[in-house]
Amino acid sequence: MATQTDAYRAAPARATSRRRQKKNQLGAFGALSHIALIVWAILVIGPILWTFLASFKTNPEIMGDAPLAMPQDFSWASWGRAWEKAHIGRYMLNTVLVVGVSTFFTMLFGSMAAYVIARFRFPGNRIVYYLFVSGLAFPVFLALVPLFFVVRNLGLIDTHLGVILVYIAYSLPFTVFFLTAFFKTLPNSVAEAAMMDGSSHTRTFFQIMVPMAKPGLISITIFNILGQWNQYLLPIVLLSGSVEDKWLITQGIANINTNAGYEADWPGLFAALTMAILPMMIVYIIFQRQIQSGLTAGAVK
Amino acid sequence: MRKYGFIFSFLVIPVILYAIFVISPYLQAFYISLTNWRGISANPQFIGFENFTRLLGDDVFWAAVRHHAVLLVAMPLITIAIALFFSFLLNVGGGSKSGKMAGVRGSKFYRVVYFFPQVLAVAVVGVLFQAIYRPDNTGVLNGLLDLVGLGPVGWLIDTNLALWSIMGVIIWQGVGFYVVLFSAGMAAIPSEVFEAAALDGAGRFRLFFSITLPLIWDTIQVGWVYLGIAAFDAFALVQVLSVDRGGPDNATTVLPLEIWRTAFTFSKFGYASAMGVALFFLTITFAALSLRVTRRERIEV
Amino acid sequence: MTNSAGSPKDITRRQMLRRIGLTALVAGPAGSMLAACATGGSSSEASPSAAPSAAATSAQNPFGVKADAPLEVVIFKGGLGDSYAKDVHEPMYKKTYPNATIKHVATQQIAQTLQPRFASGDVPDFIANSGTDLMDNGALQSEGQLLDLTPLFEAPSIDDPSKKIKDTILAGTVESGLIAGKPFILNYVSSGYGLWYNTKLFQEKGWAPPKDFTEFKAVCEKIKAAGLTPYAYAGKNASYYQYWMILITAAKVEGNQVLLDIDNLVDGAWLKDSVKQSAAAWAEIGKYIDKSYEGLIHTEVQTRQNQDKVAFYPSGSWLENEQKSNTPKTFEYAVAPTPSLTPSDKMPYEAIRVASGEPYIIPAKAKNTAGALEYARIMLSKEGAKGFTEKSGSLTVVKGAAEGLSLSPGIKSLNDAIGAAGDNIVTYSQFENWYKELETELRKQTNSLMFGRISADEFCANMQKKADSVKADSSITKQNRTV
Repeated sequence: MATQTDAYRAAPARATSRRRQKKNQLGAFGALSHIALIVWAILVIGPILWTFLASFKTNPEIMGDAPLAMPQDFSWASWGRAWEKAHIGRYMLNTVLVVGVSTFFTMLFGSMAAYVIARFRFPGNRIVYYLFVSGLAFPVFLALVPLFFVVRNLGLIDTHLGVILVYIAYSLPFTVFFLTAFFKTLPNSVAEAAMMDGSSHTRTFFQIMVPMAKPGLISITIFNILGQWNQYLLPIVLLSGSVEDKWLITQGIANINTNAGYEADWPGLFAALTMAILPMMIVYIIFQRQIQSGLTAGAVK
Repeated sequence: MRKYGFIFSFLVIPVILYAIFVISPYLQAFYISLTNWRGISANPQFIGFENFTRLLGDDVFWAAVRHHAVLLVAMPLITIAIALFFSFLLNVGGGSKSGKMAGVRGSKFYRVVYFFPQVLAVAVVGVLFQAIYRPDNTGVLNGLLDLVGLGPVGWLIDTNLALWSIMGVIIWQGVGFYVVLFSAGMAAIPSEVFEAAALDGAGRFRLFFSITLPLIWDTIQVGWVYLGIAAFDAFALVQVLSVDRGGPDNATTVLPLEIWRTAFTFSKFGYASAMGVALFFLTITFAALSLRVTRRERIEV
Repeated sequence: MTNSAGSPKDITRRQMLRRIGLTALVAGPAGSMLAACATGGSSSEASPSAAPSAAATSAQNPFGVKADAPLEVVIFKGGLGDSYAKDVHEPMYKKTYPNATIKHVATQQIAQTLQPRFASGDVPDFIANSGTDLMDNGALQSEGQLLDLTPLFEAPSIDDPSKKIKDTILAGTVESGLIAGKPFILNYVSSGYGLWYNTKLFQEKGWAPPKDFTEFKAVCEKIKAAGLTPYAYAGKNASYYQYWMILITAAKVEGNQVLLDIDNLVDGAWLKDSVKQSAAAWAEIGKYIDKSYEGLIHTEVQTRQNQDKVAFYPSGSWLENEQKSNTPKTFEYAVAPTPSLTPSDKMPYEAIRVASGEPYIIPAKAKNTAGALEYARIMLSKEGAKGFTEKSGSLTVVKGAAEGLSLSPGIKSLNDAIGAAGDNIVTYSQFENWYKELETELRKQTNSLMFGRISADEFCANMQKKADSVKADSSITKQNRTV
């Protein structure tokens, strides 16, 4: 990492080998900083906790003048409504399916392209690379309308396959950009040795290079899963209102939001929201280390 | 020759997918921006740069551009400032312990909590903040203010405040990511550097400003670019949260929202694409400028 | 929630499709718009007058229905349900033609179900084309897919064969279904617009709905003193409820011509005195609205009204049904016409806006168009309309069909108001469908006006500017109406 070495080199020469335990001064600054940290933690947890509690409230409680009061009794009725009427379960399942398949193929195709670009000289190498990388700078909104017609002309509108292909295509720029850099850093010796042993290029890639690139692949996989899971714009264009059974989770939530307005079922809305948040929270707590490194991987080259 | 066959076989699928779903829509968008296409007729009429000249006199368009400018300056500044403060506390704030700089107590916990909003879908976050920002005493924030005897604040209905309220949500969601990002940068600073400075009697402020800040400057710049690109979006939040989508009085509107509305509500796809092209050039200009600045600094170092 | 009744589909249905693309947060806008594109692109030959199932016509059988020809009816199963068709209209048809088999299809996804069938030519005979996923009637018509309903409106009424159907239904119904000058749509449901309030509360407090704006302000003062918000609408997503009121008042002052002029983009239509006076009068009422209402959505405001925190609420007759589950026993809806503005108003205080909506269509290429026309004639009979109101809780365009029914309080009060209005009916605004840009601008300017950020003059000037720019925009197809 360039950052680290630069930082080390630029370190003031005053850094000597003298070591002395610095006293832990917990003055006013320490106290204040703890308060700041706690306040922000409350700011983060508060709204989520409030949503969770609101799912147990009644309409008058939510719309009443005491938004901070606890629910009067914990009834799961709204959860039942959100699950059965709002199909949260189905949206989740759809999303798992779409994101699972498309992330897998994003990683497969992305790493294949990145590997070739990173480690082989061929005419057009740079063109292909910049073609992919340029996609990073294009706002999706520019492509939205033609994209709809492209997908429709292929007969893929309102299908999960259409969404999957589009997700893969739009995840490629970042995936290729990052993995190209990553494959370049891998040592040549192992691959060369394998080739000497008569291993084909394809076998070398899958059996030698992919395992070596595992840390980078995991990071970008997480990055893609989160990005695709939270995608909001593409599903509402590609899966229209008439295929509700195919909707994805963000679409479903936004729709429930609209409907809760019309039918005045706010507890149901907050139950649905909680249902969308909970799995993310569980997955996050289990994999938080990997997720953090995955998401920041792109930034710290 | 075996090599070229291999390269071809690895590139063909990703490149075709990318060309169909990403490149071709973008190219079409540029063409559509020169027509008066309304999405119905098969043959859009070519009208040259008329859409672009009309953009120049479009108040709503300029309001949106102004909002991006505000977001572009204020949002990264605030986010980075908060994130730097917290990551400093979490990594260096606890002083040095057995030769290593440590964060304040509970840093691990804070890092996990702060990062969490990042894994939530923007659609979910938007719906959640509706309840937080509700303009009367039934809103969570106003309920809090009420406890200390302050009148309700019209977070999203005050024309001077609405954009900042929405910016607040972006910051709320983003800070955790940058805390983790900067923490990675700070962890890479050798502890000797801090110790030497501490020996020289540097306080926490000097530790921060004359050591930490310069040494993670690269990482901050990367964060800046990320935040800058995010400043050109804000679609989902504005759509869910603002009065009448972009109101009151255009106070919160952003280009993606106007593109969306122009295309899908007014069915003026030509004009919408022209806005898309404008958005594209704004994004590109920002990205190019930032990269340029970044590169120059690196050469100087 | 969900795909069933009270969803965005339903609300668009209730609004007679006027909100499409603006209310539904997701899917709605993209879905319907893009679906419209999809139909628009494909070409097909026009044959609007196909009537394959000919039999001899007679006074009882004006369309020449073949007694044993099967009939397929597709009903949008939204807030109105589908029992009005299954339990009322279809049995009535069956009674006349016992040998006919009726296929009943209920769906919430009209376009998804039917668009492929239109493409392949295998269409049903009768369609309730409603909901978010309705098909674009304009696009269908331009492709020659819709049957001209002139014969229906010219046919003798079932109740009184000496009368034509068009004379047994509310004025303006036929006109509301015109596309390119011909009636292709039967708008069956009738909605009334005005100020809604809680009669029980008003009786208890001794308040009365105001007859003019002076009274309006006086009663607002009283209500305010009692600690309620006198008047409110939802600025976040339903400012059109408010601009309806402004336009209705303008029409009362000047007559319906001002609304026609606005629809026809007549130069200076927004600068007319009637519009200015109306805007200024309503801006005064705006001072009684708590600021926070600009950030609320309509059900939030309606719920507050049900809690007796808001006295007057501007809306249409779907309101009572929409709030059914939130209305406490102490709340009884009633509607009052918008107050008069000047003593020289062209229309009396009793004048009210009544508009017909809920489009029913007959495909031109249907196999049994005669049967479908007969089915529509049955719907337009008193018995058919009465049954509809009983099953769906909504009034129809058939005059006098609700007589003798035990109506809900709100609908009853609307029925009385319509009776009192007589021929003084404020017409609907078509620009809301024709020129979405203008409509969007009006929402924005209405909030600005009502919450005190601009004056009535600025309101009119801003609207005129937008109307001019729409008029000058060559890419927007211009429409015209004379009635």
